[in-house]
Amino acid sequence: MTTDLVIGMAGSGGDGIVSAGESLIAAVATEGYHAMMTKSFGSQIRGGESSCRVRLSTEPVLNPGGTLDVAIALNWEDFLKFGGELPVGGNTIVIYESKTGVAPDKLPLPGVTPAEVFPVPIADMAKESAKTDKAKNTVILGLIAGWFGIGGDGVMKGLRKKLAKKGPELLEANERALAAGRKYAQDHPLKTPRVMERPKTVSPKLLTDGNDMCGAAAIFSGCQFFGGYPITPSTEIMQFLSREIWKYGGSVLQAEDEIAGIGAAVGASFAGKKAMTATSGPGMSLKTEMLGLATIAELPLVLVNVQRGGPSTGLPTKTEQADLYQAAFSAHGDVLRPVLAPTCVADTFEITVEAFNMAEMYQTPVVILSDQEISQRKETCDPIDTSKFRLVDRLRPANSELGTHYARYRFTESGISPISEPGMPGGNYLAAGIEHNEKGAPISGGIMHAKMNEKRFRKLNPIRTRRDLFQTYGDPNAPLALIAWGSVAGVAREALRVAERKGVKVKLLVPRLLYPIAEEFFNDFLSGVQAGLVVEQSHQGQLYHIMKMVLDLPKGLKSYARSGANPFQPAEIVRRLREQAQAMHQSGDSMPQEE
Amino acid sequence: MTLAMPAPVPTLQAKDFRSDLKPIWCPGCGDFGVVQAVYRALAAVGRPPHEIAFISGIGCSSRIPGYTTAYGFNSVHGRALPIAQGIKIAHPELLVLVAGGDGDGFSIGGGHVAHAVRRNIDLTYIVMDNQIYGLTKGQLSPTSPRGLKTVTSMYGSLEEPLNPLMYVLSYGAPFVAQGTPADLPGLTAMLEEAIRYPGFSFVNIQSPCVTYGEESGQIKAQKEKMKALADMKHDPTDRIKALSLAQDYGRELYTGVFFRDPNPPPTYDALVKARQAELSANALPRQNILDLFLQK
Ligand SMILES: Cc1ncc(C[n+]2csc(CCOP(=O)(O)OP(=O)(O)O)c2C)c(N)n1
Ligand code: SF4
Repeated sequence: MTTDLVIGMAGSGGDGIVSAGESLIAAVATEGYHAMMTKSFGSQIRGGESSCRVRLSTEPVLNPGGTLDVAIALNWEDFLKFGGELPVGGNTIVIYESKTGVAPDKLPLPGVTPAEVFPVPIADMAKESAKTDKAKNTVILGLIAGWFGIGGDGVMKGLRKKLAKKGPELLEANERALAAGRKYAQDHPLKTPRVMERPKTVSPKLLTDGNDMCGAAAIFSGCQFFGGYPITPSTEIMQFLSREIWKYGGSVLQAEDEIAGIGAAVGASFAGKKAMTATSGPGMSLKTEMLGLATIAELPLVLVNVQRGGPSTGLPTKTEQADLYQAAFSAHGDVLRPVLAPTCVADTFEITVEAFNMAEMYQTPVVILSDQEISQRKETCDPIDTSKFRLVDRLRPANSELGTHYARYRFTESGISPISEPGMPGGNYLAAGIEHNEKGAPISGGIMHAKMNEKRFRKLNPIRTRRDLFQTYGDPNAPLALIAWGSVAGVAREALRVAERKGVKVKLLVPRLLYPIAEEFFNDFLSGVQAGLVVEQSHQGQLYHIMKMVLDLPKGLKSYARSGANPFQPAEIVRRLREQAQAMHQSGDSMPQEE
Repeated sequence: MTLAMPAPVPTLQAKDFRSDLKPIWCPGCGDFGVVQAVYRALAAVGRPPHEIAFISGIGCSSRIPGYTTAYGFNSVHGRALPIAQGIKIAHPELLVLVAGGDGDGFSIGGGHVAHAVRRNIDLTYIVMDNQIYGLTKGQLSPTSPRGLKTVTSMYGSLEEPLNPLMYVLSYGAPFVAQGTPADLPGLTAMLEEAIRYPGFSFVNIQSPCVTYGEESGQIKAQKEKMKALADMKHDPTDRIKALSLAQDYGRELYTGVFFRDPNPPPTYDALVKARQAELSANALPRQNILDLFLQK
């Protein structure tokens, strides 16, 4: 039986392809599967072609998968526009609208012979069963239920909820369309059945994307203010908060630009509230001056940068990991700015809570560096026990510290000075972008400036000892190593599985703290490593180069980097890794053992 | 934290708002007069310093929060208004003052002014308008008169000045006034009124730069030139009349209240509070927020 299935479908705007994908993933989630869904659209604002991929498995799904097991084309023109995003191979079952007039042995897929091909009169079935070809997507869900044994009843349950207000007729029409699809599948069985195995246990699951997860985590963390400006692919964070945050005494300001968005968040933080802003590359550029201000004024702030392809407008709807330099280094003056990167939707919760805690604890801006893929893909995840999270609030002055002797920037052993806020009698001080002494008074001398810089760096030292921000997988003694972050971490984890299955010993490091570099953990991980790859979705391989700047890397550790929008496949990572090991061997170094 | 609203402490005096930082301003700078008027206005309003947040940008004039005992924020060039709005939204019980220069407010920060006005956030925005860049030593400002020769306009400026009064009035600000330290009691009274006004209030202060400013902008010249709107029998509830008088900015020096909306429109901060109150009834407990994503 099949335990893992990747379904890809494409159609034109009105075909409801994405809503079919959403119904499917919601249905299989209730059936206990792990699943992940990505969507992709053409460049038209409305209409245009759209596609989605749903991967489901009896095991946790780590990435959207590669070649499709099932390809569904409502028309070939739209399907083909997605090229590499919907790859068809020799193992793929191709289902397409027979009205397209394409013969099953003449598919416009040069060089590919799919496993099975089904031209299906999808539009006619929809019209016949539901009296409208709007039901095409429900017919498709019926076909999927019939051939692969997933979704059917769950889909109906979902539709019942979704259409509750629209009256029984529409519901019944959809029921008939679903049944028609199922029946078609039963009448035309696959040569090699691929019915999905049922999950061993069915437990309730969360289903959401990275942006909504980030918004929910912000509320959980006690965020009370969001200031921002819409920019793909981060906007849904503001959208989610603009629906939810009021219920918790907070508010969202859609500002006139990114500078005002972060400025208002800096103001809210000065006023004593946990505050956040979110953006993508070009917006991050605008926010940089304010980050300097929050750093020197020592104000907690969380900034989410959801990366997209750049520079400039670049590939605004596609994922890339090329903003790490910007996150870590876009600063004037000496700045140490923590950069955290979530690896999947569920992890976005933990990383967001962590970012608020760090910002509050160290009174400084913290960047969450997410990416389009994580932020906009839907994933199932196990319910998260929120009681295990400790929430940190900024250190406020004790009553005895308040009064005319209160020193906002007092030198302490930890470098953290108790912070007051307007409304607190005796805590009055001047926050400023200008350098200051312990009391906050402006100064212009080098000695105090050096001391303040030292304080602002020293207070962040404990971050480098946070082992929990690093995940390791595989055999700790393996001589071959992979390092990956953000959405690529999920591909790398699967590459590790593939390698292990082939008997190759590999280990994987997933840093979730990207900056500052925690030297000790990297060195521990890299000791004994002879060859390896830092896998990144950017042209430059930015983490690799930051590592190189700070660490003595093993000679055989190389960068494996390529520009965004071209997802890595686990198999190619493994292939590349073995080549890397081979090259090491040929250059006279000892060859890692392969069993 | 919620603060008990006004219940003014009558014993506050101007000196209670003066910090012990010594101003860096040039002797004779108009900003000295402005800060005096601010101390007196705040004493008259009667809110204790710790309930006041005073935000500025960068410039000579933007040093002003540090010379008061309020919670101050001397931020970055041109961005005082966004920061101040975040403060007021996050903590609406605070008295929020914003100040800066003409360059800070109408050049680099010009894009923010219209939005602060249209949101009608309850704060007072004070511009110390000296028609020059003081801190950076004498460059052209957006309110410099056409033809002005400065270190960056050696042969005379080629641009018309921006009109701060028209700018703010035309976006619908409910309170707009102009004053000068040449008339300290008048300036004090107008600041007090602006601070008490429930909504966005704007006070343009002709505060001379003695070092880089024009002769015609100095206190002595101002004293000869200024005309009180009250003496002109101007009706400050008439927005159109106010706009028409504001057109004379740069030629005439009118002092007093140009416009005061007698029916103050709702403030953004009050609307935020109302929305929070309305929606908080149907909130999941914070720790159960993820139930929003639970598939049942
Ligand atoms: C982003 C940025 N650009 C430029 C400057 C330099 N700068 C500081 S104050 C100022 C202009 C000051 O003029 P104004 O705002 O009118 O205030 P004044 O000094 O006259 O009171 C400039 C250009 C800066 N601090 N930050
Ligand atoms: S340069 Fe001009 S504005 Fe600045 S302090 Fe001196 S007189 Fe005042």
